[in-house]
Amino acid sequence: MEFSYMFYGFYNNTLVEDQNFSYNLPLAYLFTAVFYFAFCFICIIARSVPALLLSSLLLLLLLIDILQMCGCVQLNEMSRMPFKSLSGEFSHPDPRLFLDRLLSHRMGSAARVAVATGGSAVGNYSMIVFASWDYGCLGDKATKLKQKNIRYQLQVDLEEEQLKKKAASQTLNQKIILYSLRISMFLLANGFIIAALYGIFEATNFSQERSRQAGILGLLFEYLPSIVITAGNFVVPLLCDQIASIERYGPSTTVIIALLRSVILRLVSLVVLLLTLWRQVTCNGDISSDDCKLCQYNHKLYPCWETRVGQEMYRLTLFDLLISIAVLVLVEFPRRILVDSWSSKLAQWVGRQEFVVSSNVLGLVYSQTVVWTGALFCPLLPLISSLKFIIFFYCKKITLFYNCRPASKTFRSTTSTFFFVAVLLIGWALATAVMVYSLAEIHPSLSCGPFRFFPYMWVIVPNSFYALSKTTQEFLFFIGSQAFSIPLFLFFCVVLCYFIALCSVHGKSVALLRDQITLEGRDKQFLVKQIQALSR
Amino acid sequence: ELTFLTKQEILAHKRFTELLSKEERELPNTRLPMEKILTLPELKSNPFRKRICHVFSTSEENDGSLTFEDFLDLLSAFSDSATLEIKSHYAFRIFFDDDGTLDCGDLEKLVNCLTGETDETRLTEAEMGQLINNILEESDIDKDGTVNLSEFQHVISRSPDFVSFKIVL
Repeated sequence: MEFSYMFYGFYNNTLVEDQNFSYNLPLAYLFTAVFYFAFCFICIIARSVPALLLSSLLLLLLLIDILQMCGCVQLNEMSRMPFKSLSGEFSHPDPRLFLDRLLSHRMGSAARVAVATGGSAVGNYSMIVFASWDYGCLGDKATKLKQKNIRYQLQVDLEEEQLKKKAASQTLNQKIILYSLRISMFLLANGFIIAALYGIFEATNFSQERSRQAGILGLLFEYLPSIVITAGNFVVPLLCDQIASIERYGPSTTVIIALLRSVILRLVSLVVLLLTLWRQVTCNGDISSDDCKLCQYNHKLYPCWETRVGQEMYRLTLFDLLISIAVLVLVEFPRRILVDSWSSKLAQWVGRQEFVVSSNVLGLVYSQTVVWTGALFCPLLPLISSLKFIIFFYCKKITLFYNCRPASKTFRSTTSTFFFVAVLLIGWALATAVMVYSLAEIHPSLSCGPFRFFPYMWVIVPNSFYALSKTTQEFLFFIGSQAFSIPLFLFFCVVLCYFIALCSVHGKSVALLRDQITLEGRDKQFLVKQIQALSR
Repeated sequence: ELTFLTKQEILAHKRFTELLSKEERELPNTRLPMEKILTLPELKSNPFRKRICHVFSTSEENDGSLTFEDFLDLLSAFSDSATLEIKSHYAFRIFFDDDGTLDCGDLEKLVNCLTGETDETRLTEAEMGQLINNILEESDIDKDGTVNLSEFQHVISRSPDFVSFKIVL
C-alpha cells in the first residue's frame, strides 16, 4: 500500500502545464494540508463560541426579568387571592419572558443547560427540587433511573458543601497529614504515567528496528507501539482511579483530576511516539553524524521517511478501530449475556457494562488528534477516519442500547463541554506544531514525494510567489510589510479592548441586579410586616 | 378540519371512555374513581400521581375522582401550550398539602417523592435537614420559613420554559 495515493511517497514532483491550465502539484499538496488545518480550527470555534456567548447574554436577561417579577410579586402577596380564580393572578404582561423563551428555543439545549445549571450562586438546590422532575417519564425503569439521578445530584452537592465546611474547620495536624498524603499520591500517579510513556518509547524503538521481518511476527512488531499505547490508556486510568479513592478530594474535584490525568496520558503518549520517530529520522537531531550527513536525514533507515510517519499514524487509527470492535464483540456482548442469564451474586455485583461518557469522548479526541498529525503525510487519512468514525458511531450506539446500563454518576454538561473543546483545541495545536516543524525544519526525502528537490517543504511557496505577476507581488509585499501590519494589529487591540470592556460591564450589571433582588426581598418583608401591623 | 375539536381532545375522550365500564358509558358526566385513573400508563409510575388526581378533582368528597372535564383540565395544564404561570401554579398545588404554602414537612415529602419511595433510596436525616435549610435559604425571600406561590414562581421563572412539566397521551 505504500505505492498508492494513500501515502506521501507516491506523489510526484510534477508540474502540469497546458494552454490555459497549470497545476503545480507540490504547491497544491501543501495548500491542501494547510487549508485542512485552518478549516478544522474554524469549525471547532464556530461550534463552541456562540453557545458560550449567548448563554451569558441570556443570564443577564433572566436576572432583569426576576427583578420585574419581584415588583409584581408584592401586589399578589398582599391580595391573597383564593387559588381557584386563575384569571386575576396572571395579569401582568410578559414581554421579557416571551423574549427569553424565544431566545432559548433558538439557542438549543447546550445554552439552556448552561443557564439553568451555570453558577452555583443562585438557587441550585431549589431548582433541582422544584423543576427537575420529568412528568413525561413512562414506565417504572425510567422513573427509577430519574429518581436515582436526582438523588445522586443532591447527594453530591450536599457532600461537597459538607466537605467545604469540614476543610475549613480542620486542625493543623490533620491538614498536614492530608496534604502529604495528596502529594505522595500525586507523585505516584505521575510515576505510573511516566512508566507508561517509557514503555511507549522502548516499544517504538524496538518496532522500528525490527520492522522488516515478514509474517505474523513482523506484523506484530509493526503494531507494537499501537498495542502499548492502547494498553497504557486502559491500565493507567484504572490505577489512577484507585489512587483517587485514597486522596479524598470532593466528588467533582475527583472527576476533574481523573479527566486531566487521562488527557495528559493520551496526548503526551502521542508526543512521545512522535519524538521517538523524530529521533530516528534525524539521528537525534545531529545532522552531521554519519547516517545523516549525506541527505540531512537518516536515508539508510528511511528512504522515504514521510511515508513511514504516515504509516505509523495510519496503523494507530486502524488499530484503534479494530480494538474497539473487538472489545465490543468479545467483552461487552458476552458480559451482558452472562449477567442476564446467570443470576448469581457475583454476576449481579459485576453487572452490565457502564457507559462512561468522559472516557469515550477522550478517546474520540485522541483519534482526531492522530488523524490531524498524519494528515500531511497520508493525505487520504481524513477520509479513512471519517469512515472509521461512522462505523464507530453505529457500533457504540448498538452497544449502548443493548449492553450498557446508564452511568450511576451523572455528568455536569456545562463545564465539561468547555473542557472537551479545550482538549480538542490542544490536540489541534499539537498537530499544527508537528506540521509546522515538518514543513520548516526537516529535509524532505530525496527519493520520493512532491518536495523531492527542495531543501525544505515550505520553499515551494516563495518559489511560486516569484512566478506571480508584478502587481500581485507588490500587493502581497505591502500586506506583509510593517506599514500595513502594525495598524492592523492596533485595530485588533482596539476591538479586543472593546469586548473586554463590554464583558466587565455585563459582569457588573449582573452583580448589581443580584444586589437589587435581595433588596427587593427585604422591602417586601418590611411591607408585609406593616400590613400585618395595620390589620390588627 | 372536520370539527372544531383538536386531535388531543378526541384522543383524550377515547382514553377516558376506555376506562369506563359498559354501563357507565351510557350515563353523562360520570366520575372515574382514582384507582382507575391511576391505571393510565402516563400516570402509573409518576410519584406525584395521587396528588395530581387530588388537585384536579372537583368532587365534594375529596377522593380524587375525575369527571371528563377534570380530565381535560389536567391534560390542558400539562400540555405544551400552557403558559409558565399556569404550569407553575399547578405544580405548586401538587407539591403543597392543603395549607397554602410549602413548609418543612411538605418539602420533606416532596424530596422523598423525588428520590424514591423505598427506605434505601431516601436521603439520611442529616442530608435532608441540610437540603431543606439550603432550599429555604435560597427561595424564601420573606424569611417566614415557608415557600409561598410567588417565591415558587420566582424559582421556576429561572428555568426558561419549565419544559419537563408535560404529559402527552
